[in-house]
Amino acid sequence: MKNTLKKFCTAAAAFSLFLGSSVVLAQTANQVFRAAGTPQSPKVTVSWNRYYDHAGINEICRKLAEAHPDLVKLETVGESFGGRRMIALVITDYKTGDPNKKPGMYIDGNIHSNEIQGAEFALYTAWYLAESFQDNKFIKELLQQKTFYIVPTINPDARDHFMHSANTAHSPRSGMIPLDDDGDGLVDEDQPDDLNNDGHITFMRRKSANGRYIIDPHNPFRLIPAKPDQAGEYEILGYEGIDNDGDGKINEDPPGYYDPNRDWAWNWQPDYVQRGAYKYPFSIPENRNVKDFVLRHPNIAGAQSYHNYGGMVLRGPGAEEDTNTYTREDNQVYDQLGNYAETIIPGYDYMVVYKDLYSAFGGELDWFHGARGVFTFSNELMSPYLQFHRRQAPGQDRDLEFYEFDKMLLFSDAFVEWAPFDHPAYGPIEIGGFKKNYSRAHPGFLLEEDAHRNMAFTVYHAYQTPNLVIQDATTRKLGNGLTEVTVTVANTRLIPTHSSHDIKYKIERPDYITLKDKDVVAGIVLENSDLNLGKEQKYTPHRLEVPNIPGMGFVKVRWIVKSANPNLEVEVDSRKGGVVTRRF
Amino acid sequence: MRKSTKAILLGAMLSGLSFNGWAQHRDYPSYSQLTARLMKIGSRYPNLCSVNTIGKTATGKEVWLLTLGRDNAENKPALVIAAGVEATQLATVELSLQMTEQLLQAAMVQDSVRQLLQTKTIYIFPNLNPDATEQYSEKLRWERSGNAQPMDDDRDGRIFEDPFEDLNRDGLITMMRVKDPTGPYRPSKLDPRVMVKADAAKGEKGGYLLLTEGIDNDKDGKWNEDPEGGVVFNKNFSFDFPYFQVGAGEHPMSERETKAFADFLFDAKNVYAVFVLGPTNNLSEPLKFDRSNVSKRIITGLLEKDAAVNSQVSKLYNATTQLKDAPKTQPTGGDVLQWAYFHYGRYSYSTPGWWIPKQPLPKDSTYTSQTYPEEDHEDLNFLRWAKANNVVGTFVNWTPIQHPDFPGQTVEVGGLAPYVKQTPPKHLLEPVTRQHLKFFMAYAELMPRLEIVNIKTEKVTGGLTRITAEVLNNGSLPTHSEIGDRTRWVQKVKVNLRLEKDQTLVSGPKMHLHNAIAGGDKVTVSWLVKGKGYVGVVASSPTAGTQTKEVVLR
Repeated sequence: MKNTLKKFCTAAAAFSLFLGSSVVLAQTANQVFRAAGTPQSPKVTVSWNRYYDHAGINEICRKLAEAHPDLVKLETVGESFGGRRMIALVITDYKTGDPNKKPGMYIDGNIHSNEIQGAEFALYTAWYLAESFQDNKFIKELLQQKTFYIVPTINPDARDHFMHSANTAHSPRSGMIPLDDDGDGLVDEDQPDDLNNDGHITFMRRKSANGRYIIDPHNPFRLIPAKPDQAGEYEILGYEGIDNDGDGKINEDPPGYYDPNRDWAWNWQPDYVQRGAYKYPFSIPENRNVKDFVLRHPNIAGAQSYHNYGGMVLRGPGAEEDTNTYTREDNQVYDQLGNYAETIIPGYDYMVVYKDLYSAFGGELDWFHGARGVFTFSNELMSPYLQFHRRQAPGQDRDLEFYEFDKMLLFSDAFVEWAPFDHPAYGPIEIGGFKKNYSRAHPGFLLEEDAHRNMAFTVYHAYQTPNLVIQDATTRKLGNGLTEVTVTVANTRLIPTHSSHDIKYKIERPDYITLKDKDVVAGIVLENSDLNLGKEQKYTPHRLEVPNIPGMGFVKVRWIVKSANPNLEVEVDSRKGGVVTRRF
Repeated sequence: MRKSTKAILLGAMLSGLSFNGWAQHRDYPSYSQLTARLMKIGSRYPNLCSVNTIGKTATGKEVWLLTLGRDNAENKPALVIAAGVEATQLATVELSLQMTEQLLQAAMVQDSVRQLLQTKTIYIFPNLNPDATEQYSEKLRWERSGNAQPMDDDRDGRIFEDPFEDLNRDGLITMMRVKDPTGPYRPSKLDPRVMVKADAAKGEKGGYLLLTEGIDNDKDGKWNEDPEGGVVFNKNFSFDFPYFQVGAGEHPMSERETKAFADFLFDAKNVYAVFVLGPTNNLSEPLKFDRSNVSKRIITGLLEKDAAVNSQVSKLYNATTQLKDAPKTQPTGGDVLQWAYFHYGRYSYSTPGWWIPKQPLPKDSTYTSQTYPEEDHEDLNFLRWAKANNVVGTFVNWTPIQHPDFPGQTVEVGGLAPYVKQTPPKHLLEPVTRQHLKFFMAYAELMPRLEIVNIKTEKVTGGLTRITAEVLNNGSLPTHSEIGDRTRWVQKVKVNLRLEKDQTLVSGPKMHLHNAIAGGDKVTVSWLVKGKGYVGVVASSPTAGTQTKEVVLR
């Protein structure tokens, strides 16, 4: 079994899987020729080149659970601020073992409401696992050993707002709890206005002899700054909107605004230190639901959250003040996983949040790592690399690539052409610019491939959560009717049952190794079995407690039993490593 | 309630144990007694106060809130008085209740008090951790500080696996002393009942282990390290949260009680200052300004102006209460005091209200403090004070027991009875209540008041009028804290015009937003308006009040 899995992983890393956008249509089986790595005949067909609102996501979840009752079950995570039901897909082989006693992998997306594709990536993962179980040996074994907890969107209210109300590619980002952003005592009273009624908030520009912008000679959609000695012809007036509350400012109090990813209870800081923080850790109900869900599932050993944009595989710490929270041992695990991600996801770089991106307190990944000892990544989805399969040019040309990609591959579908509008404050202006579904969100044809690659990374992460094996039990007669029993328990994967940060603060309880014999006289956790060095445990000697079973490592324990033929049934019970038993 | 007390007494008599006078010491309120007392207050003063709940505890007890000055409560500048944040400090609960009762009584007869309740709101939380304080009234009394949320205090994966045991069956958890050559404790030379640490550096010998009353159930070499409960209210807030420490909780605001308290306060924009009746004391002695604490991005000390206000208020506290010898206690991680300042943005103060006065050794004593360095020992001082004030039932005399963890060793159970240091005879709290009310009355006098003064209109050519006004803080304290200007949760001072239909604002912002205005300070505002008739100038702040003045444009 081990060999097969290993082979598969190498294969996945070495091959560049050729997938493209495969929409499975209702055709007869003999008309379809199977593409490698894609489910042959999925019970639930989903188009992976489009996006789904919250109801759409829940509909797919429901269908998956219905089609695969032994693989997919739905669990309610909680209710959002706006009363939407947050759903987790709990995916495992329910016929093999208790889902709560297998190492768990948690995946969510869309915490920032405009960063939509995380939900589809998470959902693709659920779909892929369920639909591949039958035909793919690796996936089958994986679901026998692990449990996936997948919450496609953890900001459903604002996801729907992003899709169904006028927005930019960058809004709302927040959740939908109304808030006074400009300190005038009114909430959300000056939101952007969809002046041209196209469902997008684009830009306003005005022809002006004093403007400092000109039309780009290479692309008529685009404005570029005039040269220092050149006369301009346009001025940019900001995002589409009017001064709704007459305070001389436009769009200064949009829906929200707070940042749900500054709300998590690890080194949380208030809004004047960390912009975007709400009232206190987990004061945002959607996050509090997720937190409660995670605490209800202490077997979660790995976690992944999906954001956009930029092509990054991020680990913490989010803030420099937290560098001690990430130890050398734990970072070795992160590095192994992160480097694997770089290999299989082109255009994505493995990075550290505070060093390589920006400093942020109260982020989700810091809570998972710091408070729960869970190895966690956040991926910033959609890399500009994917546009022309090259690293982006710096500066001005970088911006041009977005226009060129839209023109050459999307046939200008992502742009609202500039059109005149009579603005109450600015007079005759033009409105236009990129649509909200462009630049941050994947264009349809790139969605499935990138979802697959990111999914493969989380599958690798899940695969590397602890796999505990009770390797051997040796006995030795001690005389006086006593028998010594020595057992080795190995962890055959990369991730330890307790991160070193976890061990330091005793976050999760120790792992229990139990000999199911009622006549255990003494129990010893061995440090060196050859030299008989170890520590005796006086309390419950039959159930020994070990602080950790290291990744790719082992622990040895010893019992002295008042019996000539002890019952050699051994149970290992680890919160993050699962429960395994073996009888010798 | 009386019934259950009786039952306990009866039970004690039947089991042949003497109570050494504990019965007198049951007079601090249980949850049901507290509830009954609040209901009585509510029904006696229906026009002055209301009794509400902000939420329920894990066992379904209400977390009560008294609102004094009930009319228009949410639109008047407010003070918060929070008691029972440290559940062993029952005196704070009683103090908050006595203050409430005296204040309401006074409001019936004194104009100044009635006036206070007309212009200000006082939110009183008499007991913020009722699940923990209830241990005082339970059959087995021990000083519990955690609520009813089950917690694995020693983080070993077992919950409540090492509780206290009432080994001498007196209904109280006290201490055990074990004769042991490795023990670091010895009986005090001043009062041999009290165990003090031997000073090895001075050649002193110990001879006793000192442990809490119970058995080491899980054989980990620690006694009673994981009893029933819980999260400590005063450790569960978000500033400097003590992660992974006993009583802190899974994360800041993880508890029903703390979350309900914070949610209520965040909604209460009118709260000007929070007064915690709790362990820390920054009223007898103010917190000092330290530039190094405020020059990092995470601010850990009072801002300069706020430190000056703390000092001003502290002077007032000492002058009005005349309280002496306050124990010095620093703020601690996760406490309410620091949260209310750093994360809620309000002025935040704390005092235990009552503490054990210094009781010097009798004058005729031949002892010198050099011979007996333990003179200042807290327990010895307490026992001298208790004796001088005829407080009974403070000490359980050491009596030998058989202890399974110490076979063949002499083990005795005894020591100070639980809660005795935090439950003075109630009559001793009466003067403390009066002193604190005096302080609060004086404090309210200093609170900010917005007034619009020197309002002027000037004709400008073309039918325009320039309106100029000064907004004065006619109180002694600032309109809000300096830290309040940094956080979004404190409303800045708003000044705006109320225009009629045919009047238009030609120049000047629709709304002036101002940072904190110091006591006696003012800001000047002006607008250019077109039109005629009455125009209202409105200055408002939830923490400093609202004033509107009208001018006529001709």
